[in-house]
This record gives sequence, structure tokens and C-alpha cells, in this order.
Amino acid sequence: MHKYRSMISTINREIIPENWYNVIPDLPEPLPPPRDSKNDFSSINLLNRILPKEILKQEFTFRRYEKIPDEIMEQYEQIGRPTPLIRAKNLEKALDYKGKIFYKYEGATSTGSHKINTAIAQAYYAAEEGVNGVTTETGAGQWGSATALAASIYNLPAQIFMVSISFKQKPLRKTVMNLYRGNVVPSPSNLTEYGRKILRENPDHPGTLGIGISEAIEYALDHNYRYMVASVMNSAMTHQSVIGLETKKQLELLGEHADVLIGCVGGGSNFGGFTFPFLPDHPDTEIFATTADEVPKFSKGDYKYDLMDSAGVLPEMRMYSLGADFVPPTIYAGGLRYHGASPSLSLLINKGRIKSDEVNQDEVKEAIKTFANTQGIIAAPESGHAIATTLKYVKQHKDENKTVVVNVSGHGLLDLSIFGDSK
Amino acid sequence: MKNLIPYFTLGYPDNETLLKFLKNIPVKKINYIEFGFPSNDPRYDGPTIRASHKIGNENFDGTSYRKIFDYFHENNIKMYSLSYYSDIRPKFKEFIDYLKMLNFSGIIIPDLIIDYFAESTEIIEYLNNVKFEYIPFFSPATPDAIIKKISSMTDSWIYYGLQPSTGIDIPYEIDYTTERINSLIPGREITYGFGIKTENDIRQLMKNGGSGVAIGSYIEKMLEKGDENGFLEYIDRIRGVLDE
Repeated sequence: MHKYRSMISTINREIIPENWYNVIPDLPEPLPPPRDSKNDFSSINLLNRILPKEILKQEFTFRRYEKIPDEIMEQYEQIGRPTPLIRAKNLEKALDYKGKIFYKYEGATSTGSHKINTAIAQAYYAAEEGVNGVTTETGAGQWGSATALAASIYNLPAQIFMVSISFKQKPLRKTVMNLYRGNVVPSPSNLTEYGRKILRENPDHPGTLGIGISEAIEYALDHNYRYMVASVMNSAMTHQSVIGLETKKQLELLGEHADVLIGCVGGGSNFGGFTFPFLPDHPDTEIFATTADEVPKFSKGDYKYDLMDSAGVLPEMRMYSLGADFVPPTIYAGGLRYHGASPSLSLLINKGRIKSDEVNQDEVKEAIKTFANTQGIIAAPESGHAIATTLKYVKQHKDENKTVVVNVSGHGLLDLSIFGDSK
Repeated sequence: MKNLIPYFTLGYPDNETLLKFLKNIPVKKINYIEFGFPSNDPRYDGPTIRASHKIGNENFDGTSYRKIFDYFHENNIKMYSLSYYSDIRPKFKEFIDYLKMLNFSGIIIPDLIIDYFAESTEIIEYLNNVKFEYIPFFSPATPDAIIKKISSMTDSWIYYGLQPSTGIDIPYEIDYTTERINSLIPGREITYGFGIKTENDIRQLMKNGGSGVAIGSYIEKMLEKGDENGFLEYIDRIRGVLDE
């Protein structure tokens, strides 16, 4: 009998990988490089001024494995890594499922989501360069919280532009960021020229992640801050590989093999971090990327070069996109409102290696409820999408003896308002 | 002898200036020469080369360069075309015939395996059949398996771009770069280009087994200023570094 039965947790330090995994050298086709969005100007060169040098290197590296510096390893332990991989026995029972369901629980980190995995790394490299501070955008507030904590750990000020609609919907997130010493403003804001321009046109603009990114970059350039990359770009995907590498190790210790992997996609970092490390040696594992019905980037978006941010300051990336000016409906899962998806993930979807699924708000709420009343975990609305796909999959393959592993990228304890008066 | 491969966008900054520069190139100091046929969408080039394509597009005419192409051919300088597949795709075979007629030896197609991967095998096989060199173009974003596969389809030299686009300044690590490419395709002739930063970088690339360098953006800047002396000095200097 295996020493570990249904839960592997922080008792085993060796579960945290020594290296991050970078998927680029293992992709089935070359990744289309970033492209300048304007003719007379190199937005790729601009990255030199907004990203820490080490992050920029990781952005364009072909190295399959990148050593995690000892200082970051230490902080990974401090924020609760490795996170648990738990067999969802109660859920299996409730669904009368013949196979096994595991969930990797990133909600167990100190900020309550996977976002801290890359925030720690980026803030560390920024602090090493001696810059004035860090800045970023945030949707639901999970990325902002992670940025604020990571900056606080390395004694850097953090300026956070929070999508206006989320700022109003989720006031407690602002409190969290403030407790971590982060400065938070609703975006569009008056702190940048770009924000002021948008506000002049529409004082009640709900904001988008694209606008937030543009504001943060302008702020970084004007204040000698470094911009923290929430997702989409390769460096963030690489840092998030700790999720998948830990999961692989944990499954190995349990003597299990993942037949199915499921995660949700905003920009793609929790999803890529969770699933990419399985690609080289799990050719038969089915992989599903879940998005919100309201932001159908994989089914209705085009696989094309498009802007990452609304102002077009960053380079264009080839990705599935609904258009940089796409203003998504104000769904609960703020983290899934982004118009595009990471280029590496987009390529893998385009080549059919990864399948996509879309779920609607009602399915998500039901999934969160089911997961809560079986496993006791109240998942973030974003993660609720992945759980909804898991429930769908399990119901459709009820009698198959498959091992399904889902990434629960964060907890939803600050998102309870989504249940409103539905008791 | 290590290869020095200067790059020119045809028609830039104008036909007269470019022809004047080309006529004065000391042919003993270069091995190959690369000509960019002006593209409507030079998507994987940086701002300097992009601008040269735009102007080149307005100026380039097919006849002005016939004599100079003959001159390079007579002096055993192998000529290569840098062309975007998005431009030549509709009349690909005709374009290859045209290049052969001009005595070009081969072609570099930066977007072929990135944007037209599904067509790449057919294209490379066609070029092999008509005995026209296909020069694989790789970058840090090219996956290992693709580097091996595409290289195995041709015997020609390889063009490895150090940067995601020409003439820009993203940090790169030379030792890792050369170690990777040497281990994936040992023994192949590899020319490095796309944003080489310093002469020391060239030294290191050559020390690590590189067979030559391609230089582009820097030359375009001298062409723009009409700085012929600067250009000749630059060629001299790089030749010197390669000969060390």
C-alpha cells in the first residue's frame, strides 16, 4: 500500500520542483514570435524598459528547464507550496463515478490563488534590479493581491490598476491588497494619460484588463517601475509550471496516471502551468481548457496576431482573440474576461492537442455549489468553470475508469456575492 | 574562412545609392550576400528593416540590379534571396525560376515554418528537386523537434536568428544558444544573425563553432546616411574579427 493515500500536502518539501518548465522547445510547431504593433517603433524593444531583464530573458528562452533560485524556493515554502493534491472522494461518490477525481488546490496559497507563483518570481527579479516599484493591472483582484504581497515581501511599492467593475463588485479585494501595502485604483483612472482619455469619453467605463495593462505600462515607464505580467506571456506560464510539476510528482507518489486534465483559461497561466509539464510524457492524456460562455475566445475568436493591451503598447501576439477592444459582459469570473489567450496555449488549441470547453454562469454556480457541499472547498468563480467541465466530463464518462485531475486555481471566499439571494 | 553575409533590401534607400554601395563591396571579404526582395508585410523584421522594405517597395525595379547580380555571380559570391512566403506564395514556382535565372543560389523564407508549417515539407522538397538551396531559418522559439526535422531535409547552411526580430535588443545567452543548436544538429554550417550586438559576441559565436554572421540592420542605417566609408570600414572590421 502506498504511504500516501488521498492527500499529499506540505509535509514533503521535495515535491516543489527545482526547475520551472518552459514548453517552447516542446511545441509541435514553431511559436509565432511577438510582432511590433506599430511600423516605426519596436514595442519588443520597449519590453527592455518595462520588464526585469531576467523576466525578459525567460520570455524568449528556449531552455526547457529554468532553475528556480533558492530565494524564490524559500518564498514558495512561505506562501504554502507545495499545495495539496486531494482525491475528491466525496464528489466521486455524489456523482457515482467509477473512476477517480483529483483536484490540485491552489487556493491553499497565502493569497488564495495560483497568481502568487509568478508574482514572487517577478517581484524578486525586479527587486534585484533596484527599481522604484512594481505595477500591474488586476481583474478579480487575485493577481493584484499576489502582486501586492510579493512586492511587500521584497519591500517594493506596488501600484495596482483594478478593472473598475471589479473594483466596485469586490471591495474586499481592495482591502486585501491594502493590507499587503498595495496602492489600488479603479481603472480607467486619472493616474495615466490613457486612463484620463478613456474617462473623458466615458466617465462610467467599466474597464477591461486591456485598459488596465495599458495604464500599468504607462505608469511603469513614467516612474521607473517594472510591469508585472499576470498571464499570457511566456515567463508567467513558465513560473506557473510549479503547479503541474508538483501535481505530476504527487500523482507519481500515489501511483496514479492522469487520463484527463482540466483547467480554466483567462490568459492561460494557471492552465498552462498545470497542464504543460504533462505534455512531453503524457501523449494520450486528454486536456480540456474551459472558458466562460460569455468570453468564447476559442470558439468564436480568431487565431491571429492581435494586441495584448488596448492601447497597443505591447507587441502583438499570435493568439486566439476576440479583439483587443472586446468589452466582455460583467461576468463573475473577472479573471476570465481577457480577450485573448497565451500564444503557446493558442497554438496547442489550434493544433488540436488541447480541447476547449465553454460553460455558462448557471453551470458555474451549480458546480461551485456541488464542489462546496461535497469537498468543502468554495472555489473561485474562475475555478468553478474548470469544475463545471469536470462535472460534465464525469457525467458523460460515468462508467469509465479514468483518473480526472482538475486544477482549482483559487478559492472563492471573497466572491460569495455571486450567490446573492440564492440560498 | 568564416562567412560574412551582408544583407541589403533591394531598392533601399534608393536604387542609385544601393548600387553604388554594392559596386564597391570588396568581394574578397564577403562570402555570400543576402538580398531582401521588398515585402508587403516583413512581419518578423524589426523597425529598421521594416522601414527599408516599405521604401524598397516603392523603388525596386527588376532591371536595375541585373548587372550587379552578374558581377557577384562572376566573382563567386553566392546570392540568396530573403523573401516572405506571404508575398511569393501565389507565384512561388515562377519566383524561384526568376531567382535561378538571376543566378541566385538559394532562398531564406522567415515565415515559412512559422505561418505555413503545413506547406513547408512540400516547398522544401520542391526546392530540393529543382536544386535550389533552401536555407532553414530558426530562432529561439523554434522547437527542438522542428529544428531536427527541417534541418534533415536539406544539406545547406542554417540561418539562426538570435532575436525574435531583426535589430532589437533582447538579452540572449550565447553559450546556451550555441550549445543547444550544436547538440541538435551537430556538424552543420550555422550562420548567426538577427540582432548580434557586439564584436565580442561575434568572437564568441565563432569560437563556439559558428560558421559565419549575417549583418543587416546596421548596414541599413549606413545606407540611409549614404555613409559608404563607414560601411567599408565596418565590413573590414567584421572581416577582421571573423579572421582572428
